[in-house]
Amino acid sequence: MQLFMRKRLPGIIRFCVLALFLAGTLLPFYWMLVTSLKTRLEIYGKKITLWPENLTWVNYAETFRSSSFPHYFANSFVVSILSGILVLAVSILGGYSLARYRFRGKGIILLIFLSTQMVPVVIMLVPLFMVFGNLKLLDTLPALIITYTAINIPFCMITMSGFFQRVPVALEEAAMIDGCNRMETVVRIILPIMLPGIVATFVFAFTAAWNDLFFGIMFTTSESVKTVPVGLNSFVQKFDINWGEMSAGGVLSLIPVAVLFAFIQRYIVAGLSQGAVKG
Amino acid sequence: MSSTSYPRKLSSVRTKRLLRRWEPYFLLLPALLIVLSFFAYPVIKAFQLSFMHYVLFEPSKIGYSGFDNFKALLMDSNMPRILFNSVIWVVATVGLQFVLGFMLALALNRHFRGKHLYQAIVFLPWAVSAFLIGMIFKWMFNQQNGLINHLLLELGLIDKAIAFLAIPGTSIIPVIIAMAWYGVPFFGIMILAALQSVPHEIYEAADIDGAGRVKRLFSITIPYIKPTLVLTVLLRVIWVFNSADLIYIMTNGGPANSSHNLPSYIFNKIGYSTDFGQASALGVLMLIILTVYTIFFLRVTKYNEAGDI
Repeated sequence: MQLFMRKRLPGIIRFCVLALFLAGTLLPFYWMLVTSLKTRLEIYGKKITLWPENLTWVNYAETFRSSSFPHYFANSFVVSILSGILVLAVSILGGYSLARYRFRGKGIILLIFLSTQMVPVVIMLVPLFMVFGNLKLLDTLPALIITYTAINIPFCMITMSGFFQRVPVALEEAAMIDGCNRMETVVRIILPIMLPGIVATFVFAFTAAWNDLFFGIMFTTSESVKTVPVGLNSFVQKFDINWGEMSAGGVLSLIPVAVLFAFIQRYIVAGLSQGAVKG
Repeated sequence: MSSTSYPRKLSSVRTKRLLRRWEPYFLLLPALLIVLSFFAYPVIKAFQLSFMHYVLFEPSKIGYSGFDNFKALLMDSNMPRILFNSVIWVVATVGLQFVLGFMLALALNRHFRGKHLYQAIVFLPWAVSAFLIGMIFKWMFNQQNGLINHLLLELGLIDKAIAFLAIPGTSIIPVIIAMAWYGVPFFGIMILAALQSVPHEIYEAADIDGAGRVKRLFSITIPYIKPTLVLTVLLRVIWVFNSADLIYIMTNGGPANSSHNLPSYIFNKIGYSTDFGQASALGVLMLIILTVYTIFFLRVTKYNEAGDI
């Protein structure tokens, strides 16, 4: 009994915990998927079925037909990828500067970037609305791209500077002795080493842009510039929620993120443990 | 030939040195420009707006109004409820996320077959939009044909379907559950990363001393990763306090404004009354609360850390 308590029990508990978390995570997704495959009659019928009795694709077809879903999708992609790339480029430059130089005003600059982290984004909705109104950028994608870039730069740049600090300076000096200049050294030697961190940072910026709702609602009104959450939301506000089509739209919007995430999930844990945990 | 090359070389050295001095600023310039004009400026503008009468529907009345917006907030009968909700929202959500995230991280802190696939699935909620999470949970908590009502009925725990999201006073609870579910992966990742930073030698020493698993966890692991835990919780509290999407989607603050927190109330004000002045005043109030919280938190944790390790 004693031996059982010491050797086997922890493993069993671990297994149960892992199984419970898996079930808890999957249940909502499962329910969305099942709902998207049911007919209207079955969704609103007296009896609730845990698997569709009559499997149907009609909700998917309707989602594509009745909303500008493909458009939303394209917009979300353009906005998230462009702002992700911009955030990354700016954060690499700034992060390198913060990690490798000593200069006057560094403390203040760091303080500015850190203090942005506690600013509630709702406070910026109205002023940014006015700014983009003056710039004649309301109801355009650039307004969203600029906003997401500005909001995500501080966190990503600080994280990036943490990644740079982890790469030994000696490595850089060695490359420079070999005749590389600073720029070549960073591009050829340092950045490849930091790849997990770079990927994690990009994904952070990408998902933040992909998932935003409030700025999208505030800045866009035309169907042609709405992102996925904003488009689906306006659909919900206009009509009674059709849970079948809603779920179909949800499943579709989940696919690219899930694929992306499955590929880079390994990098994220590696990237975070490189940057976030500095004893 | 040789007489001209000398000074030229010198000047090029000088420009190089000058360039080098300005290099860190050049590198930071893009970040600073973007953040100052599209982050810092809007925040300053919000302070200005909070002292103005600014309702979008009344363009002729726009102008400075002193502390009127803040006075109006004091008189607002919704405010006590909203402040109370904001506290419950943060404490319950972060508490649940922390405990569950910690359990997940502990369970994951050992190699097993299929671990990468498992992580990819369990961490997925992190990457999904709040809009989608909100809609799924809204549908699951639905009175008619909602999964949760169905399960509770099947188990015989209730005799009649409950309209969870329409009960005044408690309609925020389903939203908290959804929010907790949403944030567990984040905590899991952060804590797992921290756990993996604990050196093995420490555990080996503990094994010689014959410390049990539970004792090892509380007297070695947790103290070792405490700085990371503290920082994660600090950032998470700010993040959850500022987050309003799920409330907006699941209850929209209803019924009768009973499930708003501060940011969702602000969004509501912007959207329905277009009272930009009052919305900004509320935003300023939030910022003040957060500043006080951060200073307090930094003090307390520094004080505690001084004794440790």
